[in-house]
Amino acid sequence: ATGSESTLRQRSTVPKHTPPTDSNTAATEDAPKKVIKSVFTSAEKTNSLIALAGLTALAIVSRFYKINEPDEVVFDEVHFGKFASYYLRGSYFFDVHPPLAKMMLAAMGYFIGYDGHFLFDNIGDKYNDNNVPYIGLRALPAFLGAMTVPLVYMTMREAGFPILTCALAAFFVIFDNMLVTQTRLILLDSMLVFFMMCSIYSYVRFYKTRNNPFSLKWWSWMIATGISIALTTSVKMVGLFTVATIGVAVIWDLWELLDIRRRLTMQQFMNHFYARAIGLILIPVVVYLFWFYVHFAILINSGPGDDFMSTEFQETLKGNTMADGIYVKYGDNITIRHKDTSVYLHSHAHNYPLRYDDGRISSAGQQVTGYSHEDPNNLWQIYSDNVENTKIGNQVKDKDVIRLLHVATSSWLLAHDVASPTMTTNEEITTYSTNEDGSRFNETTFQIILESGGDKLRTMASNFKLLHQSTKVAIWTHSQKLPDWGFEQQEVNGNKNLVQKSNLWLSDNIEGKNASEIDQESSKAVKTRSFILKFLELQGKMISHNAGLTDSHPYQSSPIEWPFLVRGISFWTENETRKQIYLIGNPLGMWIAVASLAVIIGVSGADLLSRRRGFYPLNQDVQKRFYYATGFFFIGWIFHYIPFFLMGRALFLHHYMPALVFSYMVLAAVHGFIFIEGVDGPISDPGPETRPRQLQRAIVPVIAYATGIILMAIHLGSFLFFAPLSYGTSAPSVAGLARRKFLPQWDYHFAK
Amino acid sequence: MRNGHSSAVDQTGVPVYRGSQAARGSSLVGNSSITTDSRQSLDESREHHNHGKVVYSNDNEDSGQFTKFKSRRSLPWYQSRELQVVGAITLLSLIVRLWAIDYPTSVVFDEVHFGGFASKYIRNSFFMDVHPPLAKMLIALTGWLFGLNPSFDFKEIGMDYIEPKVPYVPMRLMCGLMGVAIVPMAFYTVRNSGHSIHAATLAALLVLFENSLVTQSRLILLDSPLILFTAFTVLAWVNFHNQRNNAFSDDWFIWLFLTGVGLGLSGSVKWVGLFIIATIGTSTINQLWNLWGDLKISPRSWLNHFIARAVCLIVVPVAVYMLMFEIHFLILHNGGDGDGFMSAPFQMTLGHSLQDSPLSVAFGATVSIRHQGTKGGYLHSHVSVYETGSKQQQITLYPHKDTNNDWIIQKKDGTVPEGLEYIQHGDIIRLMHVSTNKRLHSHDHKPPMTEDENHFEVSGYGYKDFAGDANDEWRVEIVESNDEESGKFLHTLNTKFKLVHTNMNCDLFSHKVKLPKWAFEQQEVTCMRSAVLAKTTWVIESNIHANYPEDAPMVNYKKPGFLGKFLELNKVMWETNAGLVESHPYDSRPSSWPLLKRGISFWGKEQKHIYLVGNPVTWFMSTAAIVIYIAIRGLLFLRDKRGYNDDFNGLREYYELSGGFFFVAWAFHYFPFYLMDRQLFLHHYLPALYFAILLLSVTFDLACRFIPNRARLVALVLIASIAIYSFRVRAPLTYGSEWIRSECEASKVLTTWDYDCNQYPDNYAQYAANAAAKVAPIEGTTGAEEPAAIVDSFERDTDLQEQQAVSEGDGVIDAGAAGAAGAAAAAVAEQEAEDAQITDPAVSKMAQDGEIEPTFDFEVPVEDDEVSENDKNDA
Repeated sequence: ATGSESTLRQRSTVPKHTPPTDSNTAATEDAPKKVIKSVFTSAEKTNSLIALAGLTALAIVSRFYKINEPDEVVFDEVHFGKFASYYLRGSYFFDVHPPLAKMMLAAMGYFIGYDGHFLFDNIGDKYNDNNVPYIGLRALPAFLGAMTVPLVYMTMREAGFPILTCALAAFFVIFDNMLVTQTRLILLDSMLVFFMMCSIYSYVRFYKTRNNPFSLKWWSWMIATGISIALTTSVKMVGLFTVATIGVAVIWDLWELLDIRRRLTMQQFMNHFYARAIGLILIPVVVYLFWFYVHFAILINSGPGDDFMSTEFQETLKGNTMADGIYVKYGDNITIRHKDTSVYLHSHAHNYPLRYDDGRISSAGQQVTGYSHEDPNNLWQIYSDNVENTKIGNQVKDKDVIRLLHVATSSWLLAHDVASPTMTTNEEITTYSTNEDGSRFNETTFQIILESGGDKLRTMASNFKLLHQSTKVAIWTHSQKLPDWGFEQQEVNGNKNLVQKSNLWLSDNIEGKNASEIDQESSKAVKTRSFILKFLELQGKMISHNAGLTDSHPYQSSPIEWPFLVRGISFWTENETRKQIYLIGNPLGMWIAVASLAVIIGVSGADLLSRRRGFYPLNQDVQKRFYYATGFFFIGWIFHYIPFFLMGRALFLHHYMPALVFSYMVLAAVHGFIFIEGVDGPISDPGPETRPRQLQRAIVPVIAYATGIILMAIHLGSFLFFAPLSYGTSAPSVAGLARRKFLPQWDYHFAK
Repeated sequence: MRNGHSSAVDQTGVPVYRGSQAARGSSLVGNSSITTDSRQSLDESREHHNHGKVVYSNDNEDSGQFTKFKSRRSLPWYQSRELQVVGAITLLSLIVRLWAIDYPTSVVFDEVHFGGFASKYIRNSFFMDVHPPLAKMLIALTGWLFGLNPSFDFKEIGMDYIEPKVPYVPMRLMCGLMGVAIVPMAFYTVRNSGHSIHAATLAALLVLFENSLVTQSRLILLDSPLILFTAFTVLAWVNFHNQRNNAFSDDWFIWLFLTGVGLGLSGSVKWVGLFIIATIGTSTINQLWNLWGDLKISPRSWLNHFIARAVCLIVVPVAVYMLMFEIHFLILHNGGDGDGFMSAPFQMTLGHSLQDSPLSVAFGATVSIRHQGTKGGYLHSHVSVYETGSKQQQITLYPHKDTNNDWIIQKKDGTVPEGLEYIQHGDIIRLMHVSTNKRLHSHDHKPPMTEDENHFEVSGYGYKDFAGDANDEWRVEIVESNDEESGKFLHTLNTKFKLVHTNMNCDLFSHKVKLPKWAFEQQEVTCMRSAVLAKTTWVIESNIHANYPEDAPMVNYKKPGFLGKFLELNKVMWETNAGLVESHPYDSRPSSWPLLKRGISFWGKEQKHIYLVGNPVTWFMSTAAIVIYIAIRGLLFLRDKRGYNDDFNGLREYYELSGGFFFVAWAFHYFPFYLMDRQLFLHHYLPALYFAILLLSVTFDLACRFIPNRARLVALVLIASIAIYSFRVRAPLTYGSEWIRSECEASKVLTTWDYDCNQYPDNYAQYAANAAAKVAPIEGTTGAEEPAAIVDSFERDTDLQEQQAVSEGDGVIDAGAAGAAGAAAAAVAEQEAEDAQITDPAVSKMAQDGEIEPTFDFEVPVEDDEVSENDKNDA
């Protein structure tokens, strides 16, 4: 690779292009430096500010228009409104997303005097009837959604694009139906996109100060970038895509700095490296952790999220059930409950049929099943493998070898190498009467392995596996029901896969003992646990649950459909008025954006191929801007889109939102690339060693304005056409819906 | 693209033969220190044109050109050292791989499938499998040549081969010999990449003494053909690359063409053959990119390069792949247990027939209605009732032709008009089940399986002369049609329609959910609101009415051509493959493979055990080679950026180019597995392992650059001996031979290797004792006879999911018996009989210490035959 790269680089540097003749300001070698402080004239700056103000106003109007409608719970407000309520109550809940955005919503609720009394249970629940200040809650995402627009404008501006291009990008972001719908409801995506744009904006500012490394400005913008990416990730884990986008740019930058031709000593290079490690890794990690710290500090009460966490974690919550745990002693009669499916380990005086329906043969031993109700047949007396231990009544410890006696039928729990009723790969579990000789002792011993809850078995608190000693299987159950002969109870069998999480059981009761008796044995005080352990546990659970969201949803879609807007999502409907909110992007705008992405690929491909053959079709400055600015946004699109293809979980159109913002920026840049001649430059701050360079100005011809306005008109028209579905404020007629059905897959309600 | 660009061939380029770089070569690079320099392209002479036995001029000559055969040492080719080495190694590998290949004498794990497929090929009966057909056809060919009786169906693991005279030894030999051929391939691949004979020998020996490769190639499995074709492709590609200074010469074309053939063959064995296509594809793109950058090559000439590669590397493999399917279809021209996977028109090519039906459908016609969204079959009812919900008569989908699929179309009021009144879009109809006089009915009850609130139960309701009620009314809505006429009127086959329940506004719907046993596990039919269109569409397949005119236009399925069948089968294979997601006790994730964390238990009986595990020495060394390669490349990459130009007198390029190609091949055969959700097994790593071994031998060659020839030989012998010793230690697991507990315990390098040493006796003498004890089997000992432990049913359960899908799914459509209920009943009976045979003798080895559970086998007469047969064989 090095070979080909060096040849490339040599080539590209060989023919020095003469600067374009159309530059109207010429800075010669001896011109004073302040002349090139900015390429933009003050008049231009004023124009830019006016454009910015206008666009921001439009953005606010578009997001806040009739924000009070509908006064009902819409789509995922079910979740995020509910979580805000939990924060205000302080009761622990579990969600796959990091806490920041939800805490912001809760904070907003706190400031407007909402007390968290409402639980947002169903889509369509009335806010006004329940006294929920939902407009205030919606105002926060709507405001941040609106503020994304000036950020887009300023990012483009800082990247050196003319006002027209920047305005075009901002305009497309304002009038995209999906961005409007998604940001004016109590959802997380508005915060996500806002912080993402903060990151991109800060990084562009940081990159522009690269000629003055370690200056105050340089440090400030770098740390701002670091904090922004941390905030993005603290909203949703997809913020990692933003981290990846910035990360790739930083690595590329460092790689360039490493180049011997940059004349940095290794020491200087390492300084660069350490500075970025602090600003872009260390500080973000601290910020990210900080929100979790706040999260744990607020949620101090036991709540609906308890069951997701380990017993140690639950013990830190006020009012948790763990505090009632009792240490189990040998000889105690206990119930054993499966952690995942909440059934009791059960046996009864019925045997497995000798021959199953599929012709396989069983041991015809006594059935062991999973039973979901309390029953005397759920009781097991716990024995040690040596009788002495049992007599003395020692406490049951981790890794002890135990035997379990089924009390009602007085028989030993046993596993053996016979296929289980429903799974030929798993072992049958049965029991073995105490009346028979003890020759099968070895098959009745199990090792108890505590996965959590200390090193002694305690009811409620300890999760454990029961590992069969002689054949190395774990006792396991799954939701498969046995046929009639097993009374449709759950199958219990021996699982060869010992590491599976569903092997866990817990003991929830000791017969004849209750919590009041054992106050002296365990204290009821809420325990503490170090923050970092709590964080690691929660983070692990978030990731595994996120990956586990594989249930299909009627409105889920596959990433390949998103850029082409194959299908939308029905957010909310009202039968009487036939109003509905249907999440869908601005179709024309999105299709133009996809076309512009194709242009990027085509142009860069053609440029690479022709340069390989010794032709240099692009002016060097134009080319540089094309790759470093437009290319950067394109990479942003790639990183916020392609990774979704690797995800197994259920995905939705709104996951495309961050990528959509990038695609609109690319669209505007491509428009500029086609219609605007030259570039404004240089735009980066000059450093002490920067050679003065000639100023050059982009020429924006009339055709650029004309086409820009046409594009905006198309986009705006398309937006207004679909606005009734985005705002849910008026109900289009059946014919009107049919007209809005550009693709047959757009499955509106009330279309008939 | 000579000197200027040889440096630009990056890691995806194939190794460059040193001869071409002779100009920059040094004594380090040159292999003058190697005993034999004459380098015949032996494969070439052996496999193709004997006229031009050709050889590279060695690198001491500056020309770097390809010349006609001449031996520098004036030795004839058959006396060359190289050939002697290859011959010896090949001979050795014949012994190692084929030793005792007749053991076990019964069906072992996946032989269930691939043997079974061979029988089906011989019977010409269609089946469905997730793998392309080539290797299975080779196995079938061998079986056919050696007289495999197709009535032997390899139905279950442990079935005896000897008694039914199954030619299993030739069938295993076929796979085994392909496994043997991998060894010389490895040798020549390394050798022709420009490495020393020592390195090539090392590669061959490590491939030879690799337990996992030996295990996989001794049984009737697809892996040895796959690896062989993969290895062949790479060898051909290396040879092609060596011809790059002779672009468009005969040899250039021949090797390019053979690469394409190799790609086609690899892809036709298993779809993981696509990885080698990706490897060669990347290398090709890299070549073309370099050629494009070579300004001495005109665009015209570049275009020729491009076209030649496109034809040989795209068109040829596709043609080979499609040819295999064409042969597959030609052989399997009868219906079989795979029919149910395929669409109705496809089934028409499998000997099924359907009488032409009148095109137009009139009220009063007796019709059968086929579901379009699934392959579940016909709208069906029978005298059993639901055990849930309304407890009315069941409505299901049934895959076979049967009189219970017949429905009479009535008018809204339940009558049939006198004359012919054709049904149009929007008409409201009732459907009367002919044999039970119940009407298709839906109401506000939950369906038996689907809990969703949008679904309602569909049942058969009423009795003879019952007038019916409004819940029997269905509106015909045409959703797709072949022509304008069939868009307005309901036509047989040409019109796809929905049946909308008028009262509840839901659509007649079916999906792949099976009903419980009480409904014979047929497919559930419900009425669903806002359903996906595809699963609510139906067509009329047969259409009978007494009053149709004689000359009514008739219609029938259009039989698909080869291309249609090919595309459909590949689509079904893809869907089935993606559906294999259930977890399995011995599955593993790719991250565990390079460290050989765990093996796979294949078979165990009579205190012997076959367990797929690699040779840890080779395995860990090859992984280390990959790590070293990455580390060195990474370090040099960074140093380049800092302005150090280490080229170590050309040594760097030498390592980067040939090692780079093998590294990329390894990466392409390894990393894509991370993207797969389906269950994966250790043996999926074997092609990648092959490339890792090649990279290891390149690393070895590099490390030996600096030591004298003699020491190099010593190093070779040393490494090979350790590997061979390690192979020998675990050989009992590979061959399923006798072993003792202490040796077994000692062989466990990692604690995660989960073969159970307790099953082995303490000393070898016990085997003899056990055998003696079995000479006179006494009644009652059958239980102790270790009916295959559960573990052993391993592969059956994995890949059998496919098969189960077949048998559960759709059963056998009995060919000629159109609509005969008797035939369907026979099919069901056959099905049951089959089910009964799948008896896993999981009778258990109740207690490993020889305890006997005497009750079992007495009560199960079916088992007795099998058991006694086993007895005979074991005795």
